[in-house]
Amino acid sequence: MTALTPAVRLRQSALLRAARSPKGALTGLWLLGLILVAVFAPLLTSYRYDVQNLPGAFAPPSAEHWLGTDEFGRDLLTRMMYGARTSLSVSAIAIAISVAAGMVLGATAGYFGGRLDRAVTLVVDLTWSFPEILVALMLVAIIGPGVTGTMVAIAVAYLAQFTRLTRAQIMAIKSETYIEAARSLGASDAHIVFRHLIPNALAPVLVSAMLATGDAIILEATLGFFGLGAQPPTPSWGGMMSSGTAQLFNAPWIILFPGLAVATTVIAINLFGDALIRALDIRSRLRVA
Amino acid sequence: MLGYTLRRLVLLIPVFLAVSIVIFAIIHLIPGDPVDSLLRVGSGPEQRAIITARYGLDRPLYVQYAIWLGNLLSGDLGTAIVARRPVAELVLQALPPSLILSGLALLFSTVLGIALGVVAALNRDRLADQIIMGGVLLGSTLPSFWLGLLLILAFAVQLQWFPVSGARGWSSVVLPVLTIGLGGMALVARVTRVAMIEAAQRDFVLLLHAKGMPPLRIQLRHVLRHALIPVVTILALRIGWVLGGAVTVEVVFARPGLGSLLIKALNQHDYPVVQAALLMLAMAVMLGTLLGDILQAAMDPRVRAALQ
Amino acid sequence: MTISFRNTILAGGVSLAALILAAPMAFAQDAIFVLQQDEVGVPTYNIIATGNTNIGARLIYDTLTVQDADQSYHPGLASSWVEAADGMSWEFTLKTGVTFHNGVSFNATTAAAWLAFYAATDNAYMTASIAGIEAVGESTLRLTMNYPDPNLLYNLSSSFMGVVEPGAYVALGDDYGVTEAVGTGPYRLESFTIGSETVLARNADYTWGSSLAGNKGPAAIATITLREIPEASTAFLELKTGGVDMLLGVPTDFLGQLAQEPAITTIILPGQEVVYMPFNVTKAPLDDIRVRQAAALAVNQQEILASVYGGVGLVANQFLISALPESQVAPEYLISYDPVQAAALLDAAGWVAGADGMRAKDGVPLSISLWTQSDSVFRRLTEVIQAEFAAVGIASDITTFDSSMIRDQYKTGEQQAAVRSYYWNNADIVDWFFGGDRLGYPNISMFNDPAAEMLRVKAMSGSATGAERITNFTAYHEYILSQFVMAPIYQPVQSIAYNHDRLVLPAEIHGTRIGAATILDMTVSE
Repeated sequence: MTALTPAVRLRQSALLRAARSPKGALTGLWLLGLILVAVFAPLLTSYRYDVQNLPGAFAPPSAEHWLGTDEFGRDLLTRMMYGARTSLSVSAIAIAISVAAGMVLGATAGYFGGRLDRAVTLVVDLTWSFPEILVALMLVAIIGPGVTGTMVAIAVAYLAQFTRLTRAQIMAIKSETYIEAARSLGASDAHIVFRHLIPNALAPVLVSAMLATGDAIILEATLGFFGLGAQPPTPSWGGMMSSGTAQLFNAPWIILFPGLAVATTVIAINLFGDALIRALDIRSRLRVA
Repeated sequence: MLGYTLRRLVLLIPVFLAVSIVIFAIIHLIPGDPVDSLLRVGSGPEQRAIITARYGLDRPLYVQYAIWLGNLLSGDLGTAIVARRPVAELVLQALPPSLILSGLALLFSTVLGIALGVVAALNRDRLADQIIMGGVLLGSTLPSFWLGLLLILAFAVQLQWFPVSGARGWSSVVLPVLTIGLGGMALVARVTRVAMIEAAQRDFVLLLHAKGMPPLRIQLRHVLRHALIPVVTILALRIGWVLGGAVTVEVVFARPGLGSLLIKALNQHDYPVVQAALLMLAMAVMLGTLLGDILQAAMDPRVRAALQ
Repeated sequence: MTISFRNTILAGGVSLAALILAAPMAFAQDAIFVLQQDEVGVPTYNIIATGNTNIGARLIYDTLTVQDADQSYHPGLASSWVEAADGMSWEFTLKTGVTFHNGVSFNATTAAAWLAFYAATDNAYMTASIAGIEAVGESTLRLTMNYPDPNLLYNLSSSFMGVVEPGAYVALGDDYGVTEAVGTGPYRLESFTIGSETVLARNADYTWGSSLAGNKGPAAIATITLREIPEASTAFLELKTGGVDMLLGVPTDFLGQLAQEPAITTIILPGQEVVYMPFNVTKAPLDDIRVRQAAALAVNQQEILASVYGGVGLVANQFLISALPESQVAPEYLISYDPVQAAALLDAAGWVAGADGMRAKDGVPLSISLWTQSDSVFRRLTEVIQAEFAAVGIASDITTFDSSMIRDQYKTGEQQAAVRSYYWNNADIVDWFFGGDRLGYPNISMFNDPAAEMLRVKAMSGSATGAERITNFTAYHEYILSQFVMAPIYQPVQSIAYNHDRLVLPAEIHGTRIGAATILDMTVSE
């Protein structure tokens, strides 16, 4: 059959529709810009993020350093651009892993039902009942600080959400007539799950993933703030804020700008996600329980 | 009602067991010998023998778990590695400040969230609505530790209205509560607003309008009561969120409590304390959720019926 | 369930207002001090057996002798002393009328019992020169020596040799110093929360202050709370907003700002500290002396002094504080920044620089892991050193440990390099940190060298006079420097900041640091 199921085509035009609303356009542009900055950071700045210039430490924002310098004399704007790479990629990859694993688990549980469903739900609900920061801390306690630990921690923290969402979608769809038709035509379980159920469940899950990325960025920043994220000299927004607390009084810009970056990014993600939900008209499908 | 409560309590037990198994497993998942997680670094062989015997580390895993669980239920949470005191003592010391902070934060975020949600709903799609919902979104997307630091800078350092850190006196609780509450009220405000709008479209409201009741009174006395039902539903979820927020806030404001106990213990690799603190927090979340569910059932007969 | 919306708001508002208006009560004769960074994380007030201590110990216990800033010794619990001409015996006359916090009387017998405890602990070296202890009558303590000890008075004045009540020490066992601590000092231990807070209450019976104090007792301040605040900025903010009364150690970053605060006075006392980086000589690549030397030469002491410490203090080019005569080593032993030499040494050792400047040998990158404690100034310094290492081609990663854990971590011997400091104003610190029988901690360098051991024994127990001791220790010190077992970095001064609207300090600070003498003369003005 054709690869472009109705669901997929709907999604692609929805992105454009979302972008047409003023809220969607602004935030969409902002996010696109952010991603471009993160990707092309080395081309956009001539400063190095890891070379220290101690005599120039704690310089307030100026023409030379638009956002000032940190405690080692490094240009803050440069550190933030590279930090965008860390924060965005860690969060995005972690959520991607979480979505992939969650969709597989949720589809399996939703499709086969019965004891498998109950088992998966019980295990997944274990994390569901904990606040994400606690789950993350528990995992970092085991794995240790650093980028790997943070990614695993975030992936596990959001696993429940995607599993449950997928499961709810699957359970709603699996009794549809076209699924019955496929089965009567002799389609295998795997074929049904991967070719029909999952693509149709994709829309709400992907939008939910996008919104979760916003939360993940905050979680990554929080872990970085506790010193458990990327280790020096690798910049991350949370890590920058962590070392900035020591300079809260004499150089507040060190903590101000990364925090603003996190806040604006997450707001942009939320607003764009909102616009996307409206364009796709799937608000009702985002209910999870 | 009593039946429902008992049934929910009973349902709590398997969840508690599952959570306790995960927490118990932490010291076995960490690379290295579990004995090392329970001892001061560089302890001698006699110390290792004592700990091995006490936790049954040379026995099969399920026996170890049984010993651990048994100790737990009789109040023995082990001995802290750094402080060299019974963990139960440390946890009991840390519990009240955390509960006070979380309770006040929950109260604040609920009251403020409902208030803002109501005002937004009453002014639906007008300027007040946009401003409120925008402000609420801002509050929820700021990282809580950043918000906390900004509040310290503004209100504790510049204006000197409140202390910078610590837990001395009631004024020290204001900024921490604000930090958690401003983030937490977003969901409450949004749900209240939506619930108010939906409830206002119900038939009985039309009837009240027809009877000539003043519109504000209708909203505040009747619509709100119905709108609060979904709010209470999410309250149960909020408890977990507030406790999580308390962890960060306790660190930023250097307040004693379960959160700072946990973070400190993680930094110190003091695993008996880590396990106990995680368990306490998990139980608080579970009990809070239970309380929320019971509250919801008390308010909404349909929920009680659904579980029959 | 009708909820009266307005009433709820009103109730909430009133409670909130009440919260805001209820200010914390400030008690009159109470003071809150914040401990300096290297005294944070002390696990016990059992000073006999422990390796680190804080000002609380100097208030709970008295020492037999006290040292003044000019290195002279004065009566503490011992009112006078006589050393035999050949240095093989000492006689101390003890003060009378002194009692411990639990009522037991301090006399020659209790003093003798206390002194004997050290032999079984890590601090045994402090009494190693003593062969026999004899209580003669009520107030005379006679010591017969194994060898002449020019350093005896120094040891007897140290924080680790406060007099502990022997009965309590034996009775409490491992709990001694944690749940209870019994001394003769101007303050008694009320409560102790490890890593957080110590509360001390005035000893009302105290009348035997040392000669360095104007007020011989009891102290004017009724309660002293010692708080351990790991974040320097939090401590600074607390002082600024009146939450604490004195910072016993002020990071140099904040000195400028504190100068602008109307209510704060800052005191600078001569430094007694050295910030340095020990190398683990048993772990590759630092087992190669050329690599150690290169790493030591990569540290830019001048730039660190100027940028990390704002120019306050001195650079360190050897292991001791500059005030000690044993620090005056021959110029060829001094260690200072020389990146060219460092590069040459690494090339000679076979570590070839790649295109990115980082070095490797046989495919193995040159990498040294840096350990430090989780304090903001140390972390910053360690990051600077990381960058300075990178400049000569050494890759490094940073691991921070909580200050209460880090000494135990060193005992594992897993470290490669550590960034830390010590506070001590005596040359025997070389023996403490590099003695072959103390591997792990305090001998973080895991250094055990026969030549060093010979020089060590000669310096510690083979010096008959003070002058001889200086010569022997200088020789030992020079040898240690030549082995590049550590890189010297910086010598801080002691900076103390206090709220002069709350605390009144004596005009002149006696002793080498803020201690019992100063606090006895301190009052709270209110």
